[in-house]
Amino acid sequence: MAISDDRQSPDARSGDVTERPPAEEGEDPTSDVERGGEASADDAATAERSLRRTLSEHRVHAAVVVAMGLYPPLYQLLISTPLGAEFAVVLPPVRTMVAVLYVGLFAMSFDFISGYTGYLSFGHSLFYGTGAYLVVLAATGKLPGLSAGTPFMGLLLLGGILAALIALLVGTVSFRLTGVYFAMITLGFAEVAHVFIRNWDHVSPSPQDGANIGGDVGAFQIGVPGVDTLSVGIGRLVGDSYENLFGTGIEFNEAMVSFYAVGAVVLVSYFAMQRIVHSPFGRVMIAIRENEERARAIGYDTYRFKLVAFAISGFFAAVAGALFAGFRRSVGPSSTFDLFVTADALLAAIIGGFGTLAGALYGHLFHEFLGGILSTESHGLSRYLRENLPPDLLNAEVAGVPLLDVVNVLIDGRAELYLGLVFVLFVLYVPKGILGTIRDRIGGTAAEHLPGHVRKYFRDRR
Amino acid sequence: MLLRTSGLTKRFGGLTAVDGVDFGIEEGELCSLIGPNGAGKTTFFNLLTGVLPVTEGRIEYRQDGEWVDLTDDDPHETALRGIHRSYQITNIFPTSTVLENVRIAAQAHGGTDAWKLHRNVAEFEEYEAEALDVLDRIGLASAADTDAQNLSHGQKRNLEVGIALAGDPDLLLLDEPTAGVSSDGIGQIVDLIEDVAADHSILLVEHNMDVVMGVSDRIAVLHQGSLIADGPPEEIRENEDVQEAYLGGYDPEGTARGDSEPVEGGAGA
Repeated sequence: MAISDDRQSPDARSGDVTERPPAEEGEDPTSDVERGGEASADDAATAERSLRRTLSEHRVHAAVVVAMGLYPPLYQLLISTPLGAEFAVVLPPVRTMVAVLYVGLFAMSFDFISGYTGYLSFGHSLFYGTGAYLVVLAATGKLPGLSAGTPFMGLLLLGGILAALIALLVGTVSFRLTGVYFAMITLGFAEVAHVFIRNWDHVSPSPQDGANIGGDVGAFQIGVPGVDTLSVGIGRLVGDSYENLFGTGIEFNEAMVSFYAVGAVVLVSYFAMQRIVHSPFGRVMIAIRENEERARAIGYDTYRFKLVAFAISGFFAAVAGALFAGFRRSVGPSSTFDLFVTADALLAAIIGGFGTLAGALYGHLFHEFLGGILSTESHGLSRYLRENLPPDLLNAEVAGVPLLDVVNVLIDGRAELYLGLVFVLFVLYVPKGILGTIRDRIGGTAAEHLPGHVRKYFRDRR
Repeated sequence: MLLRTSGLTKRFGGLTAVDGVDFGIEEGELCSLIGPNGAGKTTFFNLLTGVLPVTEGRIEYRQDGEWVDLTDDDPHETALRGIHRSYQITNIFPTSTVLENVRIAAQAHGGTDAWKLHRNVAEFEEYEAEALDVLDRIGLASAADTDAQNLSHGQKRNLEVGIALAGDPDLLLLDEPTAGVSSDGIGQIVDLIEDVAADHSILLVEHNMDVVMGVSDRIAVLHQGSLIADGPPEEIRENEDVQEAYLGGYDPEGTARGDSEPVEGGAGA
């Protein structure tokens, strides 16, 4: 047959990665029983198959979670080695990784609506800001009917629900439009909110600077509300820390504790969105992206599907915003409702892979990684070079300019410049992003196909 | 009677694209709708499926022994009632697999299944089984895992019909299924149409007269938005109004040979 199928490599077809139904069939003896459409298998078998599938699909997820979980102690270990200064330049510090998590969640929520239904939500910061401001206003007792002591987990949920409702309102108007007009009108809504929040003096005496949560409010607790032993406080300075946890001698500082607590919420949120993406509903979202006219013609009320998808996306964007406010304990219009907040999510989604969900988080990790190296702060490359290169080398002239000036001009705080270039290069040469390209290479999602490829790799080597 | 229109009219500003059409389709019938380019055939389809709002007149559909009014239905509502269409210009889900193209259409008829956010799509095996049956029928079973955009043009035309079939239609509206297909591919599509006609009612828009004369139980002729003839193929062949309509705006030789240009003005203008 004359079909050029360049998306799946020959390896993926001939390897032990069974193509359809995916991955698990090769290992699951019960699965070929009901291929003919006879839904006669009893519930127990169905449940077992479902469990097996879940386990096999989550091997890669588990590996990623373990790697992320090991990062903070590994980071601590590496920067205390003789090469510590070098590691500090390259590796993002743990507090940056907390930002990777919540901004990553925001970027994933952006990808959920934009990457899967194809509707670019350029006003996504509206939902992020809603979650963030709700936390700060509630904690400072400025929301009527919501006591200052409301559990943080409750605020996460409330912020999410509020944002979902706003998404329904915005979507009701915006989904009458498509393409660039949809992007523009959502942007318009976010800008209205941006201007409003800059001038709403209920927030603080100077609303254009935002609001802070004072020291009189304790750390926000992530965990089971009301049960102290099952909750930990987050925040850079006020969060919980453990000097000698379980007698292991490992020190868990505030950033590390926050990293795990925020990470847990992000992980749950990711799995919730991932579940939806792989549900029949998720397939309709993809059909809308692929060809909305045809999706309608085969019987889907696409308007309602888009609205619900937008509300779900808004919910998780607000959760991300609430985590941001809970960790940083201060919000401002420019760090929440601003267009540039949405732009960060867009950047992360493009670099990580549009329509891949998890890719958005990797995209933002890449962003922070590059930003960290090129930053002017103490762990940046430029300061490292200034402090560690011999003075006569620094003063040596490169094409008539001292090397020191070259470093200052080209590296110091130039992250945004290089990120812009990286963005352009990605759009031009890696349009599917990091994860999208990996999926193309292995012929499916990493969760389904990567284990098979790894097995095959080791078998071939033997 | 499965579907009937009375005084169906569509105006775009000053242009009347469909003009007071009274038309009906019997259950189990294969009726062809022909007419020169711009006669309003595609507009007529768009009215029947709710893509375009009706200016005047009514569309009614026989469902469970009752006549229901479709005039103000949206496209997804007509689809759920059992009216499915294929498109003149291939209109598929390009980067989804061939199987998914058809499976998603089968899923649309699963009631609230499409709203089950918490269930994995692989648990709904009935839609995949249904889709595989359709793929067998349209001869694309071996290409199930291919991205739809990588199919050949002829295969895409088959998939186009397959997506419409997967919705388990009672009435199938086929808009030029042979558009752009080479002459040796046409026979295969005609086989598919005849196969499908065995258990579906079909309204077929087609320019290839050999195909139309070969498969139709009945032929209706649209000219400048009006129905000028409606009867069995032999009768239409001899009808002077029809010959006049085709001669008036079109080269009849080209039409008879079936290599007429495949693209018709979208709005029937």
